[in-house]
Amino acid sequence: MLQTAFGLFLQTVLLIGLAPLVQGLVKKIKARLQNRIGPPLLQSYYEIAKDLRKQAVISQHASWFTRYAPYIVWSCIVTAGLIVPSFFADSPLGFAGDVLMVIYLFGTARIFTALAALDSGSAFGGMGSSREMAIGAIIEPALLLAVLGVCLAGKTTVLSQLALQVAGQSWDFIDPAYGLAVLAMLIVVMAETGRIPVDNPDTHLELTMIHEAMLLEYSGRYLGLMMWAAEVKQLVVLNLFISLFFPWGIAGGLAEAGLAVSLLLYLLKLALLAATLAVVETLYAKVRLFKVPPLLSSSMALSVLVIILRIVM
Amino acid sequence: MMKVKDTPVAGLRAAANAVSKSGRLPLRAMFANDERSLNGNYVLYLLFEAEDGGFSLLTSRIDARQPLEFPSLTTLLPAAAWYEREIHDLFGLKPTGHPDLQPLVLHEPWPADCFPLRKDFTAAPEVGGSISVKHPVAVHGEGVFEVPVGPIHAGIIEPGHFRFSQAGENVIRLDPTLFYTHRGIEKSLEGLPVERAIYRIERTCGVCSVSHALSFSQAAEAIAGTEVPLRAQYLRVLLAELERLYNHIGDVGNICAGVGFAVGASQAARQKETLMRFNEELTGNRFLRGMIVPGGVTTDIGGELIRHASSLINALLPDFKDVVEIMESNAGFIDRCRQTGVLPRQVAADLAVVGPAARASGIDADFRRDHPYAVYDQLEFKVPVRRHGDVEDRLWLRVSEVRESCELIRQALAFLASQKGECRTELTFPAAGGSSFGWSESARGANIHWLMLDANRRIYRYAIRSASYPNWPAVALAAPGNIIPDFPLINKSFELCYACLDR
Repeated sequence: MLQTAFGLFLQTVLLIGLAPLVQGLVKKIKARLQNRIGPPLLQSYYEIAKDLRKQAVISQHASWFTRYAPYIVWSCIVTAGLIVPSFFADSPLGFAGDVLMVIYLFGTARIFTALAALDSGSAFGGMGSSREMAIGAIIEPALLLAVLGVCLAGKTTVLSQLALQVAGQSWDFIDPAYGLAVLAMLIVVMAETGRIPVDNPDTHLELTMIHEAMLLEYSGRYLGLMMWAAEVKQLVVLNLFISLFFPWGIAGGLAEAGLAVSLLLYLLKLALLAATLAVVETLYAKVRLFKVPPLLSSSMALSVLVIILRIVM
Repeated sequence: MMKVKDTPVAGLRAAANAVSKSGRLPLRAMFANDERSLNGNYVLYLLFEAEDGGFSLLTSRIDARQPLEFPSLTTLLPAAAWYEREIHDLFGLKPTGHPDLQPLVLHEPWPADCFPLRKDFTAAPEVGGSISVKHPVAVHGEGVFEVPVGPIHAGIIEPGHFRFSQAGENVIRLDPTLFYTHRGIEKSLEGLPVERAIYRIERTCGVCSVSHALSFSQAAEAIAGTEVPLRAQYLRVLLAELERLYNHIGDVGNICAGVGFAVGASQAARQKETLMRFNEELTGNRFLRGMIVPGGVTTDIGGELIRHASSLINALLPDFKDVVEIMESNAGFIDRCRQTGVLPRQVAADLAVVGPAARASGIDADFRRDHPYAVYDQLEFKVPVRRHGDVEDRLWLRVSEVRESCELIRQALAFLASQKGECRTELTFPAAGGSSFGWSESARGANIHWLMLDANRRIYRYAIRSASYPNWPAVALAAPGNIIPDFPLINKSFELCYACLDR
């Protein structure tokens, strides 16, 4: 009991504490790849701290929904993060739900963000939420299919068991189906974290935004919470990627030996993934909005191939 | 060179039709002048291209005692639409039969019957309350909605309100409202001596400073009938091309930024910054201000700086070529630019669009070659033209023009290094005053200025037809048919200036 409580505490702190650093790291690497110095590594912390201290200005046309939505979104994302293993497989809320739960918590957060964007009636919010829901309707099945390929091999949807199984198989796990699944998942990761080629997190061009357009009416602590939630979500998606595809070295539970090595390996994997995101963002331009569905469909096609391979082989 | 024709106002349409050869020759500028104190009339001036390669000027007098109106030319020459609305706003002369006579320059709550460019307008009225712009819903239908954008934007850019009528993501119609920060520069110049006017004219806009100063200086020199020393002419070419260079490279980077292509955007930003720092080293000003004045150039550039400029240009070209190759080889980037924001040739011709926007749509026009000034007729350069009129063509056109500009700079530097000479003369204006046009091709197209001096050799009227003026309506026509997230890219491919309208 005590151990579960400790695990819960540790993972929560890790999630909400590490998420801004991952964001900062991606930004820094991106800047260096473009010959820029870039913002300080800890800039995201400063921004969240600043926003949380500030008073929020809310549109007079907005209802209570606008004020409550950030808390709901933040909680949904952090709860999802407690189901996905980080550097120990026995995730604190692992008993409460499996990977499907994670996907639906993401979906809930998405719906609340989109509704809040519609609430104040601004044109950009409407545009952002319409785009987010249209693309979300394709991201969700794409994520589900990508995860399903791994679940089929492990014959379970419980993430801690999946992670330990994959880790236990060591290098034997790498086969063509695995390669395809990694690619399928990578596309979904780019989309779910709102990055180029799907969305551009750094743009100031309101008309091109998807996720940021939904936050334009927010300010102060509400904006801080929403930005923080987005960063935590990015970390959760990366955690999911790591535990499904590169869990090697993961410790079983908090009581087991090798926890320190596991943590170090985990941080290393996170850094590598952050670098991958930065490289992809630098190499590609944003695709035309109507070419996002084909991009995600290609991820789905890969996932279907993985599933067929898993069943046949 | 310039054929002048005067016509009674009742016959304006027929005369304009004849001078423009039924709209085939573009209307380059149209403005009014309050000459009541001179001859009791308001006078309309219309500048057309002429068939022999020069210009024809059509004038028409409106007697101040008669109804203050003239027949609208818009249905005949679509390019006249904005000019006529502006004349209506600022002079209170009504173009009868104009299909869309809404305010252009003056927004609410500007009082009615208050016309700033009339001579009896001396002080701005108290204007209280907030700006409200009335927008009747332009497009009706199921699923059609309006997206208002601006005038305050997220980036550090100038104010402009864009109203999109959309079905889903598809733009059906775009109504831009501009002129939010009109400064009354033309009005404020009236009564000034020529040598003091340069400071304000140069600041009409940041990124066309050289071109505006050059147009003004050439108009003043034409009135004085003075030939500017050869060395000054070459220096002017050098400055004008340096301005084009940093503009075009910056614009190429902005197009990359418009699609989130970070490598192109940051590399071009670096090169633009290099050029602007060199501008400062050369002239003491990043925008090359304070150099071109009526009569020549204020400061000579020689010796060390010329060698430095040569090595800068020699290093820039391969560097820029590398960036262009990165852009060319990125399929995702090209895919965003191709077939986006097409400006058809006929539309460009009807609106008398100028500069890279016109040349990318297949209109072979460049004032440096067609109406040579400074020493452009003694220099060798090509005028690139492309056909498709999409974002991609406007991008590659600028890339080609960067190469041509570098060639021109080399030729100018070669002359400046080998020949010595004066670079400024005094201007003496005729006692009776006079008027003249002056023009130059900026990075956005031709900036055409008109200067009229009174008998005291002070400015009686100054008119600025900036390159952005005929091109803005073209942006509104290039957007429909595209999706709204592509609009920033389309807008950046035209890269028009708001300040150039707010003169």
